[in-house]
Amino acid sequence: MQTQHLYFLKTYYLQSITNPASFQAEKINNLFYTFNIAAAAMLLLVIFLVIYISIKYREKKDDTGEPKQMHGNKKIEALMIGVPMLLLAYFFYETIHVEKQIAPPVNTSQQPDVIITGHQWWWEVEYPGSGVITANEVHLPVGKHLLMEMRSADVIHDWWVPELGNKMDLIPNVNNYLWLDIKKPGSYIGACSEFCGAEHAWMRINVVAQTQNDFESWLAANASNAMLPQDTITMAGARLFQEKTCSNCHRIQGTAASAMIGPDLTHIGSRKEILTGLMKNNEDNLYKWINHPQEIKPGAHMPDFILDKDSVQAIAYYLNSLK
Amino acid sequence: MNKTMMKLVVGTEAMFFVSLIMAFVYMAYNSGFEPYEVSKLDIKTTGIFTLFLFSSSFTFWMAEKKYKNGNIKSLKIWLVITILLGAIFLFGQGKEYIRLINENITLSGSVFGTSFYALTGFHGLHVFIGLIILSIILIMVFVGDFNNSSSNVIGTVGIYWHFVDIVWVFVFTVVYVLPYFTKI
Amino acid sequence: MKELVEISEPKSPFPGVGVSTDQGLLQWISSVDHKMIGIMYLTVSLFFFIIGGIEALLMRTQLAWPMLHFLGPETYNQFFTMHGTTMIFLVAMPAIFGFSVYFVPLMIGANEMAFPRMNNFSLWITFFGGLLLYFSFLAGGAPDAGWFNYAPLNEKNYSSSPGIDYYAMGLLLAGIGSVTTSINIVVTVLHMRIKGMKLNKLPLFVWMVLVNSFLLIAAFPALNAALAMVLLDRQFHAHFFNTANGGSALLWQHLFWIFGHPEVYIVILPPFGILSEVFQVFSRKPIFGYSFVAASSVAIALLAFGVWVHHMFATGLGITVDSFFAASSMLIGIPTGVKIFNWLATMYGGKIKFTVSMMFAVAFLVEFTIGGLSGIAFSIVPIDWQLTDTYYVVAHLHYVFIGGTVFGLFAGLFYWFPKMSGKMLDEKLGKWFFWLFVIGFNTTFLVQHVLGMIGMPRRVFTYPDLPWYGVLNFISTSGAFLMGASSLVLVYLIYKSIKSGKTAGDDPWDAYTLEWATSSPPELKNFDELPVVHGRRPLYDWKHPGSEDE
Ligand code: HEA
Ligand code: HEA
Ligand code: HEC
Ligand code: CUA
Ligand SMILES: [Cu+2]
Repeated sequence: MQTQHLYFLKTYYLQSITNPASFQAEKINNLFYTFNIAAAAMLLLVIFLVIYISIKYREKKDDTGEPKQMHGNKKIEALMIGVPMLLLAYFFYETIHVEKQIAPPVNTSQQPDVIITGHQWWWEVEYPGSGVITANEVHLPVGKHLLMEMRSADVIHDWWVPELGNKMDLIPNVNNYLWLDIKKPGSYIGACSEFCGAEHAWMRINVVAQTQNDFESWLAANASNAMLPQDTITMAGARLFQEKTCSNCHRIQGTAASAMIGPDLTHIGSRKEILTGLMKNNEDNLYKWINHPQEIKPGAHMPDFILDKDSVQAIAYYLNSLK
Repeated sequence: MNKTMMKLVVGTEAMFFVSLIMAFVYMAYNSGFEPYEVSKLDIKTTGIFTLFLFSSSFTFWMAEKKYKNGNIKSLKIWLVITILLGAIFLFGQGKEYIRLINENITLSGSVFGTSFYALTGFHGLHVFIGLIILSIILIMVFVGDFNNSSSNVIGTVGIYWHFVDIVWVFVFTVVYVLPYFTKI
Repeated sequence: MKELVEISEPKSPFPGVGVSTDQGLLQWISSVDHKMIGIMYLTVSLFFFIIGGIEALLMRTQLAWPMLHFLGPETYNQFFTMHGTTMIFLVAMPAIFGFSVYFVPLMIGANEMAFPRMNNFSLWITFFGGLLLYFSFLAGGAPDAGWFNYAPLNEKNYSSSPGIDYYAMGLLLAGIGSVTTSINIVVTVLHMRIKGMKLNKLPLFVWMVLVNSFLLIAAFPALNAALAMVLLDRQFHAHFFNTANGGSALLWQHLFWIFGHPEVYIVILPPFGILSEVFQVFSRKPIFGYSFVAASSVAIALLAFGVWVHHMFATGLGITVDSFFAASSMLIGIPTGVKIFNWLATMYGGKIKFTVSMMFAVAFLVEFTIGGLSGIAFSIVPIDWQLTDTYYVVAHLHYVFIGGTVFGLFAGLFYWFPKMSGKMLDEKLGKWFFWLFVIGFNTTFLVQHVLGMIGMPRRVFTYPDLPWYGVLNFISTSGAFLMGASSLVLVYLIYKSIKSGKTAGDDPWDAYTLEWATSSPPELKNFDELPVVHGRRPLYDWKHPGSEDE
C-alpha cells in the first residue's frame, strides 16, 4: 500500500536494553550483563562436555563388547546440585537488591508526575496539576525522580521503552506505578508490549526527554488553548471539525470539542508523528488518515467518514495549524 | 482399578472446585461484593437443605454396607433414600435460586451474582450428575445386576457421591458461613 | 532358571469386531487396541504439525521485512493464536499421548491399557476438540487473543467473532481427552505392571509419564474452570472478566497460568523420559543416577505449581510476591540441570552410537540448555521487566519447545519407529533431515533473542524499519523456510520407509526394555509370557544373565 509513508528514519540509533538512558535501565543492564557471563559459562560447559564426550566415547570400529556399566556416583550428583544452587543463590540476592532499587514502594497519596492511560491503540498523557492533556508523544524531564501512574481505559496494555528500563502493565480497574529517572535528553522509542487487539503493532511510544527548562516551557505552551483559526480555510476546517462528528470523540481545548474517546488534538500540529508512529505528521498524512482511517490503520476505533475532498483538506489544514 | 480411577477423577474434580472457590474469594476481595446482595442469602433454609445432602452421604454408606452383606433388599431402600435426599437438596437449591432471582440477583446482574451462581451452580450440576448415576445403579439393582456382591461399582460410585458432599462443605462455608459471620 | 510369567489376554478390540478380521478403516476408528490408538495419536499430531507449521510460515512471510502487507492485522492475530494453540494442544500433547499409550503397556509388560474403551474415547474427543477449534475459521473468525487468551480482550465487547467461544469449547473437549488419558495411564502403571517391576524399577520413560499424568490431572482443572468462566461471560453475560462491570482482568491470568506453567512442563517431561531411554541404549550404559533423574521429575512437577506468577511479573503485584516466584522459578533450574548432567554422565565412558535418534538427543542437550538459561533470565525479575513480551520470549519458548520437546519427540520417533512399523527409518535421509532441521531451527530463533533485546515486542503483525529489524527478521524467516523444507524431508522419509524400508527385526538397537521383547510390530496380543523382572533393564538382564542392576 502506497499510502503508508514510512517515516522512521535511519537516523535513530539502535534502541537496545543494553543502551541504558535511565537509572532503572542501567541497573537492569548491569544485572543482565553479569547474568550473561554466568549463563555463557554454563552453556560453554555443556557444549564442551557434549563435544568432548561425543568425540572421546564414540563407538570405535573394531571395538566390540560392552563398556563398563556404571550406575551413578553420589559425589558427582552433589556437585550437580551444589554448583547451580550457589549460582542461583547469588542471582536471587541480586534480584531482590535491584528490585528494591528500581521499584521502591509507592506512597499512593503522592501525586504522580504524569498519568498514562492506555487506549486501543493510543496513549493518553496527563500531567496532573498543570492541566495539560496530550497524546502519544510523551514529554518528560531529565534528572527528576518521576512517578508515573499507569491506567487503562479498555484492555491490558504495557508500557515499554527499552532504553528507559522496566515495563509496566496498564490494567483496567488497577492503578500501577512506575519510577523513572531519565539521565540523558533525547528521543526514545518504545512500544506497547502486551497484546491488545488488532492494532497492537501500531501502539508505539515516543518519549521526548527534555532538560528541566525545556520541559517547563513545553508544558506552559501546551497548557494554553488551541490556536484560533486565522484564515478562511482554517475557519472552515474548524467549523467542519465541530460539525462532522469529530468533536464527539476528540478534544481541542478552547473549543466546544471536549470528548476524550480519541486522542487530544489541541496541539496536534506540534507533534512529530501521528498514529503512534505509523506516519509522519504533516498535512498530507493527516489528509490520508481523515479521508480513509480504516485503510491506514485497519481496526482503529475511528470510522470512515463520508466527506468530500475539500472538507477533508480543510480539516487537515486546520489540524496541522494547531501548533 | 475402578476405584483408583474414580479417586483420580475425584482428584481432578477437586482441583476444579478449588479453582472455582479461589475465583469466588478473589472476586470477593478484589472486585468486592455488594453487602446488600450478600445479605440476601438465606443461611438458615439452605443450612437445613445442607443437612439433607449430608445425611445422603450417610445413607449411601449404609447402602454400601448392606450391599457388602449381600442384603439386596436393604440396598434398594437405602439407595432410594439417598436419591430422595439428594433430590431434596437440589429442590432447595432451586428454591433459593428462584427467591434470589426475584430479589433481582442474577448471573448477569452483578459480580456477586456471577460468582455465586457459577460456584453453586457447578456444584448443583455435580449433584445432578450424581443423581443420574445413582438412578442408573438403582435400575440395575432392580434388574438384578448386583445380585452377587463382588462388583466394586457401588463402592466406586460412593467415592464420587461422598466427594460431592465434601465439596459442599467448602462451598457452603465460603459462600454462606463466612460472609454471615464476617458480614463482608 | 528363568521364571516366566504369563501375560493376560487383551479384551477384544471392539465388542462384536473380531480381532483378526481386517475391517479397513472401520477397524482403525473403532479400535480399542492401545497400539492402534497410539499410532492414530501420532498421525493426528503430524497432521496438525503441518497445519501449525504452515501457519508459522505464513506469519514469518508477513514478518520477513518491515511494513509488508501480506497478512492484515486480523488475519495475523488469528494465525499466531491458532499456531500457538495448535502446536501445544494438538501437536505436542497428542504426540506425547501417542508414545505414552503405545509404549507404556509394552514397557511394563502388559497387553493393554487399564480402560481400553476410555482410551479410544480420549483420542476422538481430543481430535474433535481440534476440529471444533479449526471450524472457527469457517464460522466467522478464529480466536484472536493469543494462546493464553488474556482478559478482558477475550470478552465479547473486544472480540466479537465467535472464535473465542470455539477456543473455549475446543480446549474443553481436548482437555477432557487429556485428563482421561492421564487417568488411564496412571491406573495402568499402578495396576498392570509385570511381576517384579516395582515402582523404583520402572523404565524412566514410564516413570516420567506417570509423574506427568499426575501433573496433568492436577493442572487441567484450572484451565477448565477458566474456560467455563469465559464461556459464562460470553454466552450468559456473567461478569468474571468483564472489567467494565467490576470483573477482574488478573483473575484470568492467575487461573490460566496455574494451569499454563505446569502445562509447559507437561510437554517436556515425557520427552525427558524418551531421552533417558535413548541415551542409555545408544551409549550402551545404564542411566547415571537413576534415582536422581527420577526424583528430579517429581521435584519439577511439584515446583511447577508454585511458579505461575513469573508470567505476570510486569502486572505490578509488588516485589514481595515477585521475589517469591523468582525463587521458585530459579529452583526449577536445579532438578533440570541434574537431568542434563546425568545424561552427560550416562554418555561418559560409553560407546556412543550416533544414530539419528541419538543425534537428536545430543543436540537436545545444547538447544534445551539455551532455552533453559533464557528461562532463568526471566526468573530474575528485573531482567524480565525488560524482556517480557518481546521476541526474547518467543526465542525462549521455541528453544524449549522445539529444542526440548520436539527434539525429544524426534529422538523417540527414530528410536521407536522400527517397533511400530517393523521397518527402519532411513538413517541416511534421516541425517539430512537432522542437519536441515537443526540449522533451520537455530537460524530462525537464535536471532530472535537479539530482536527482543533491541525492542521488538511479540505478537506484532508488522514493525517499523528500525536499525537491524529488517535484516534479523529476514534471517529468521529464511530459517523458518529451511525448517519447512526439512519437514518435507521428514514426511517423505516416513512415507518411503513405510513403503520400502529395511525390515527392522524385533530388537534392532539391542535395547534394554520390554517393548523390544516382542515382534515388530507387536501382535494384537503383545506378549504371551515374559521373565519376571529383577532390574531396571529387564531385557538387558535377560540377554546377560547374572548381571542384574541394583
Ligand atoms: C517446554 C516448555 C518450557 C520449559 C521446559 C520452560 C522452562 C523454563 N521456563 Fe519457560 N516458558 C515456556 C515454556 C517452557 N519454559 C513458554 C511456552 C513460555 C511463554 C508463554 C507465553 O508467554 O506465551 C515461557 C515463559 C517463561 C517465563 C515468562 C516470560 C515472560 O513472559 O515474561 C519465565 C519466567 O520466569 C520462564 C522461566 C522458565 C524457567 C526458569 C525454566 C526452567 O525450567 C529451565 C531450566 C533449565 C535450565 C536452567 C537449563 C539446564 C540447566 C543447567 C545446564 C544447569 C545449570 C544452570 C544454572 C545454574 C542456571 N519461562
Ligand atoms: C510446540 C510448539 C511450537 C512449535 C513446534 C513451533 C514452531 C514454529 N514457530 Fe511457534 N509458537 C509457539 C509454539 C510452537 N511454535 C507458541 C506457543 C507461540 C506463542 C503464540 C502466542 O503468542 O499466542 C508461538 C509463536 C510463534 C511466533 C511469534 C508470533 C508473534 O509473537 O507474533 C513465531 C514467529 O516467528 C513462530 C514461528 C514458528 C516457526 C517458524 C516454527 C517452525 O518450527 C515450524 C516448522 C514446521 C513447518 C514449517 C511445517 C512445514 C510442513 C510442511 C511444509 C509440509 C508441507 C505439506 C505437506 C506435506 C502436505 N511461532
Ligand atoms: C468514534 C470516535 C472518533 C471520531 C468520530 C473521530 N475520531 Fe479521530 N481518532 C479516534 C481514535 C480512537 C483515534 C486513535 C486511533 C489510533 O491511533 O489507533 C483517532 C485519531 C485521530 C487522529 C490522529 C491523532 C494522533 O495523534 O495520532 C486525528 C488527526 C484524528 N483522529 C482526527 C479526526 C477527525 C478530523 C475526525 C472527524 C472527521 C475524527 N478524528 C473523528 C476516534 C475518533
Ligand atoms: Cu496496547 Cu498492545
Ligand atoms: Cu512458566
